[in-house]
Amino acid sequence: MRAPKASARFLAAGVVAALALTACGGSGGDSGSPASSGKGGEFTYWSMWRADEPQAKVIKAAIDKFQAETGTKVTVEWQGRDVRQKIGPAIAANKAPDLWDQGADVISPTALAGQAADLADVYAAEVPGEGKKVSDVVDAKYLDQLPKDAEGKNRWILPYELISAQLFYNAADPDLADPPATWEEFIELCDTLKAKDRACLASDGDLSWENFLTLDYLIVRDNGPGTLGKIVADKSGAGWDNPGILESAKRMEQLVKGGYLIKGYDASKYPTQQTKWAKGEAAFLMNGSWVASEVATLVPSDWKMGSIPVPPTKGGNTEADAILFGFTVPKRAKNPEPAKRFLAYFMKKENLEKISTEAKNITPRADIPAPAELESVQKTLVDNPARTIMDGAPGEYGDKVIYPAFLELWHGKITSAEFVAKAKQAHIQYWKTAG
Amino acid sequence: MAAADPRRLGPLERQRRRLFWPFVLPALICYGALFLVPIGYAAWTSLYQWDGMGEMRWRGLGNYAVLLEDPTFATSTLNTLKILVIGGLVTFLISFLLTLVLREMRAKLFARSVLFFPNLVNAMVFGAVAGFVFSPDGPVNTVLGWAGVETPPKWLAVDNVFPLIVATLVWTATGYYTTIIMAAVDQIPPYLYEAAELEGASPWQRLRNITIPLSWDVITVCAVLWTVSSVKVFELILLFGGGNSGNPPTQTWTTAMYVYTSAFPNSSVPKMGLASAAALVSLAMVGLFTLLLRRIMRRDPIQY
Repeated sequence: MRAPKASARFLAAGVVAALALTACGGSGGDSGSPASSGKGGEFTYWSMWRADEPQAKVIKAAIDKFQAETGTKVTVEWQGRDVRQKIGPAIAANKAPDLWDQGADVISPTALAGQAADLADVYAAEVPGEGKKVSDVVDAKYLDQLPKDAEGKNRWILPYELISAQLFYNAADPDLADPPATWEEFIELCDTLKAKDRACLASDGDLSWENFLTLDYLIVRDNGPGTLGKIVADKSGAGWDNPGILESAKRMEQLVKGGYLIKGYDASKYPTQQTKWAKGEAAFLMNGSWVASEVATLVPSDWKMGSIPVPPTKGGNTEADAILFGFTVPKRAKNPEPAKRFLAYFMKKENLEKISTEAKNITPRADIPAPAELESVQKTLVDNPARTIMDGAPGEYGDKVIYPAFLELWHGKITSAEFVAKAKQAHIQYWKTAG
Repeated sequence: MAAADPRRLGPLERQRRRLFWPFVLPALICYGALFLVPIGYAAWTSLYQWDGMGEMRWRGLGNYAVLLEDPTFATSTLNTLKILVIGGLVTFLISFLLTLVLREMRAKLFARSVLFFPNLVNAMVFGAVAGFVFSPDGPVNTVLGWAGVETPPKWLAVDNVFPLIVATLVWTATGYYTTIIMAAVDQIPPYLYEAAELEGASPWQRLRNITIPLSWDVITVCAVLWTVSSVKVFELILLFGGGNSGNPPTQTWTTAMYVYTSAFPNSSVPKMGLASAAALVSLAMVGLFTLLLRRIMRRDPIQY
């Protein structure tokens, strides 16, 4: 940790000298920190990336430019994913960084605990040199779907990377030239493939979250957005009696009983079946859009990555899953202002587009084209309303209430009706101990 | 130990007594600061509802009541006990059988290294290897297919993951404990075995009447080590059950996993109080087991 700190200081000192700012003095012991008047200042950043990851390189390049242009001193620690475990104790000890980043589901615990700053002023700020506000370039639909913090606000994250869960397939596959637009068409296609002795869906049966994504979508398609969220919140468990839930579960049962799933899916370990899918042994795979880069070296050279969300069942309810990765500022940050200035700066097209061109991910700016393999995902995200997976239900609810029963349904051990009954029972048990 | 009149003690004993505290105190302070204080802090935290960041709210024994009611904690505790008892019995049974063979075989140093090897391999490797070896068209099923098995078992089905985890633990631990026990067995004078052989003792009788009694102290230590380590099993659970997102299925959770998911949840407020309570319950469990084990295994040392 020492080396980057020292070099950052050296760099900042150099910049200060070059711009001939009279910044000496400042806060006594801390040598070389520029005065924090308007521009300049300093902040610390704990990154979820390790220094050698593409996202780290993109962010580092932007930080370097930001430091040079504004005279702000940025101290970065490339923590990697461990930042998740480190941030809580750091906040408790009042030693939190001024800025950190992670997925919205990892940041939300700090927001729900009232420990994430409201970034409304970042969204109201101008993207430097573009004459537009941050809120003009980041569609509000991605933020409005997020869980609200203790004060009822959900602007506790500034996303720079978007992931969506979709059904991925090879668009160059002649069998899949005409992707289904409705659930009926999807089942028809599965039947056609079955007649040709091809599996319709690949699935690593040991994964709960990934496999539940399909049912999570179907519940929205059949019952409208926010349904699962309401079920979770109703402590009585009556939500599970909603006939629409059974209807969605029946569609899952149909997938299992219809013989559309890849052989051996219930007896393998991730990523066995995903790899088979990448070799063309099954048509579709439900997963987060990171799967495109996971299989990049496995797919044949003529593979063209395509994706569709779970098709609508009865028209309407076309919400697309949106997973946000972004920056957040702890409420107790000591230097929030310079950190927030950097956030607006990072949203500049010339900075953010490198998340697409170099880190190969979708950005929240619709005017930055996604990398080729994620074009269809970006189009789905732009064209449809956004939603949070499982309506942002606590991870614990998935682990304890939904997944145990769901995996039995998915492995063909119980019927859809038994699934609903088991989930309801676990739901009642959950609320006895939660909260 | 007679608390005798100090004047009757020899000069050496008096010196020893004088040096007792200066030598023990630093260790005691370290132990207190590094172990007892954190345990005390955890015990205190377990009485509160705390998100790990903001204010703590008094909850009394509420967290312990939740643990009692939560079926997931019951599963986790049961799994930990299964590892401790079943895994432990199998590990030590195999270790004894191995000492039986190893003592008398040629190239035993080489064999010992081979046995110890799994212990050096990162648990990550086992997760990946198991996924390959036991996959539906992996090597195991291919061999079974040659043997005419049409429908091989679903090795990696969710119900089988926990037994697989226990098997992996046994496999890695056996070499470790065999090595320790063998070090003790090597100290047993060979003439005892020679005499037993002359009198016609079978290998089994030699194990029962010579090897086990004379390495008993080491076996006791090994049993305690196993108890302590089995309560910490965590990364194997994480590796065997899941991909990038989400946790392993609750069927495979141990108390350590329960503590982790309570302290670092997704999309909900962390429950540090509950996590501390769960950690303390498992600590109490180890403590109790260790005490029981020591009580059961207590023997007068045999001089030889």
